[in-house]
Amino acid sequence: MACPLCSERRGYFWSLRRDTFLAVVFALLIVLFVVTGFAVRSYDAREVRLAWDWNKRGERDLEAGRPEAALVDFRNALFHARDNARYQLRLAQALAATGSNPQARTYLLSLRERDPGNGTVNLELARLAAREHAIPEASRYYHDAVYSEWEGDPVTKRRAVRLELVQFLLDSEQTEAARSELIAVAANLPSDADLRARVATLLVKVGGYDDALRLFRQALASQPHSAVALAGAGECYFQMGRYPEAARYLERAVQQDSHLVNAAAMLDTARAVQNLDPFARRLGEPESARRAQLDFGQALARLNACAAQRGISLPAPGDDPLQKLYAQAAALQPRARESVLGRDRDLLSNVMDQVFEIEQTTSQVCGAPQGIDLALLLIARQQEATRP
Amino acid sequence: MSTPSATSPARPPFSPGSWWSRLRGRIRWAPVYETLREPQLFLLLAVIIGLFSGLAVVLFRVTIDATRLFVFGSALTPPWVRILLVPILGGLVVAFLVIKLFPRVRGSGVNQTKAAVYIYDGFIPFNTVIGKFVCCALAIGTGQSLGPEDPSLQMGAGIASALGRRLRLSREKVRLIAPVGAAAGLAAAFNAPVSAVLFVIEEVIGGWTAGVLGAVVLSAVSSVVVSRWFLGGQPLFRIPEYHLVHPAELLAYALLGVIGGISSLAMVKLIGAVRPRLKVLPAWSEYLLPSAAGLLIGVIGLGLPQVMGAGYEFMDQAMHDEFAWRMLALLAVFKILATSLSFVSGTPGGMFAPALFIGAMLGGAVGGVEHHFFPWLTGGVGAYALVGMGTLFAGFLRAPMTSVFMVLEVSGNYSIILPVMISNAIAYLISRHYQPTPLFDLLSRQDGMDLPSMEERREQPALHVEDAMRPYDGVVLSTEDSLKAALSSTDASAKAFVLIEDETGRWYGIDKDELRARAALLPDGTLLRSLLPDIPLPHLHPDHALEEALRRLGDWPLLPVVNRADYRKLEGVVTLPDVLETYRAASAPAATEAATLS
Repeated sequence: MACPLCSERRGYFWSLRRDTFLAVVFALLIVLFVVTGFAVRSYDAREVRLAWDWNKRGERDLEAGRPEAALVDFRNALFHARDNARYQLRLAQALAATGSNPQARTYLLSLRERDPGNGTVNLELARLAAREHAIPEASRYYHDAVYSEWEGDPVTKRRAVRLELVQFLLDSEQTEAARSELIAVAANLPSDADLRARVATLLVKVGGYDDALRLFRQALASQPHSAVALAGAGECYFQMGRYPEAARYLERAVQQDSHLVNAAAMLDTARAVQNLDPFARRLGEPESARRAQLDFGQALARLNACAAQRGISLPAPGDDPLQKLYAQAAALQPRARESVLGRDRDLLSNVMDQVFEIEQTTSQVCGAPQGIDLALLLIARQQEATRP
Repeated sequence: MSTPSATSPARPPFSPGSWWSRLRGRIRWAPVYETLREPQLFLLLAVIIGLFSGLAVVLFRVTIDATRLFVFGSALTPPWVRILLVPILGGLVVAFLVIKLFPRVRGSGVNQTKAAVYIYDGFIPFNTVIGKFVCCALAIGTGQSLGPEDPSLQMGAGIASALGRRLRLSREKVRLIAPVGAAAGLAAAFNAPVSAVLFVIEEVIGGWTAGVLGAVVLSAVSSVVVSRWFLGGQPLFRIPEYHLVHPAELLAYALLGVIGGISSLAMVKLIGAVRPRLKVLPAWSEYLLPSAAGLLIGVIGLGLPQVMGAGYEFMDQAMHDEFAWRMLALLAVFKILATSLSFVSGTPGGMFAPALFIGAMLGGAVGGVEHHFFPWLTGGVGAYALVGMGTLFAGFLRAPMTSVFMVLEVSGNYSIILPVMISNAIAYLISRHYQPTPLFDLLSRQDGMDLPSMEERREQPALHVEDAMRPYDGVVLSTEDSLKAALSSTDASAKAFVLIEDETGRWYGIDKDELRARAALLPDGTLLRSLLPDIPLPHLHPDHALEEALRRLGDWPLLPVVNRADYRKLEGVVTLPDVLETYRAASAPAATEAATLS
């Protein structure tokens, strides 16, 4: 069939021999390669520049607290450099900052697929999961981040990630998991007093007082006047029931920094425990009796206050635990005098048992005690711990 | 060191001309056409075509992007004045170029390549390549809702055609060279050689032989190598890791298939209905239609700038779950509208990217809805968007095989194959049921060309020998029979032609009269074997194509149809009247349908 369109002009190229034409074709191919390379390179350079400009603008917006504007900028940056992982990460961060968690996650997962060992990506994923209270997922990403690759001082960055994980676990009330992480952190700490004090403070929060105390002491060895370390060590002793040592450290801490309100309160309690404990060592019988009488009076006052708070009439007969306690205390009250207690050690024990029961019951019924009542409660717990 | 003797002739003074003449004299150029036979030259040419197509596509992509950057600026969402004005002005310029300089660049590149193969002996004017490059870059760059893949395909075909003709290949090879170039162009545009090869085989050639496949693969691979060299080897789209959260999620993918099928159908119907109406408008309207489409697209773009251009960056955003499902659904609807407007206005450009865009948005919307209502049941929205792309490819472009491989290839993610297959198959079946004529065939028929429809060809029922064979009720003689016994057996039969089998399963045939005549000249005890010709009867198997029966029948009155496992087992016989009758019976419904249509 004749070709109805074959009416093209046959110019110079049609007159060439086939082999010559092939040679021309190869030459043309080389020229086209060069031209294309030049065009692509020029265009790419322009794209890179534009992407960089948009990214810079996005960084500025992000720093200025304008995540919405940053979002547009990072999208524009990615429009010119689609595969730039850094811009994708920044976009994901901006998305997360605007609360677009699913979108941020999609970008981050895409980045993670390309580079599973990227610490920043894993950390951002962990933060996203943490924000959504997805504890197992967040823990998994935090751990991935800990074991990922980090540029520039990876040890410090890994430690920072682990501490962030600890904080997340503490906030999520995952104390045991947080404690394990802290022990791992504490095992490889550099000789940085502030860092040791920081880790020790976290250890105190998870009840790792021994390890915390060791770290506070190490911190104090290089910074003897560190108020944080002193207060921390004092708190450790306090929690361990070693009130004299606690009082010593806390006193120094408050001397260093008078704004340490908690430390001051703890110091008061520690001193109160020391001054109110009738079972303290090397205490004469008269002093024991005096303290027992004082404690009994304080306990009764606490009982009255608690009953008043709850609108209960203590002298009236009834089944309320406060009323029962009052009845028992009322029976003991005539004998709970310093002169009698000094002679009768068993009575002193009974009186103090009554004091402890009042403090424990009122703390359950009317909330945690303060000041002297707290001290009495601590003495009660200490006694309970020493009983066989 | 020797000195020149006194008798030696004086050396002529140096001149570049003489130096070149001496060099040419020393080197004997071996003519390529003497050392390379045509099949080898064809393969070499396929590589060259691939390289040229790859370079052309790379430049094309850069030109589109540079045009976009120049006219819209560097922000993803341009200022509203540009959104409104640029498509109008771009449409005017494109219309002028198309009407005055490149009238053949209108329409689908797939159809033009098919026309080159089936009508014009592989001829595509090189002017079309330049026209496609310039006009499509301008149209897509100025915001028309069209894609660069179809033009890339045609540019590849045009380059191939020019090279094939210039190298004076045989007509058969020149006819096949256009699809080779088409595969190269598409492969470079998609960065997906397998999909490109499949598409060309599925939609343009309709079948393949080793030679054609080799050339198509070579050209596709070489073009992708060039494309990756310049543009990088990353897949077109990146989605987060996919995993099937729950088997029930496949139901959502099936729903996506249904929605994709209906959307494909809507788009084909819209284009099919509007295009002929615009074609009958006065000739001067052709100057205005692209800019009118540009105006409408600009208006849409004021609210949804994502529908402008090819929209790859927004597909990427959809895959990263950046749009709410309502927004995705809205984008899909308006992209259908915008693409239909661009295409029916006669603006040159392709429909592949818009189809992918619509699919991505629909998929994302379905995924978003499912995620909203059944968060425990579904994975990421990105996977839905990706599957949606394939769904539209299957439903709208009607290339089911290519659609599956395309999704795998453009994402580099092979774990998604199950949802892709389910969704694509459903979309394809819905689209095919309610729109029997595929888009490309519809367009070519609207343009007055009756190009072969690959889908119709695929769907045509194949006739086999078993459809025409009949049981053999005559006598079967053995080569060990005596003449006397054979005669007495044949005399009892009414058949004029007798089949004879030997112990190895070969079949012979002899006319009864001829047997009788020979028997008269030979003693009674003579065995039949001594009478048989050297060449046995050709035989057939029940699953052979009926054409094969026609080829083998020759002058034989009938042929034995034997079992493939046991050649001595006669399944039946085939005669020429049986074959013709079978063809007649098969063509009767088609003829009735054609008569009804006419």
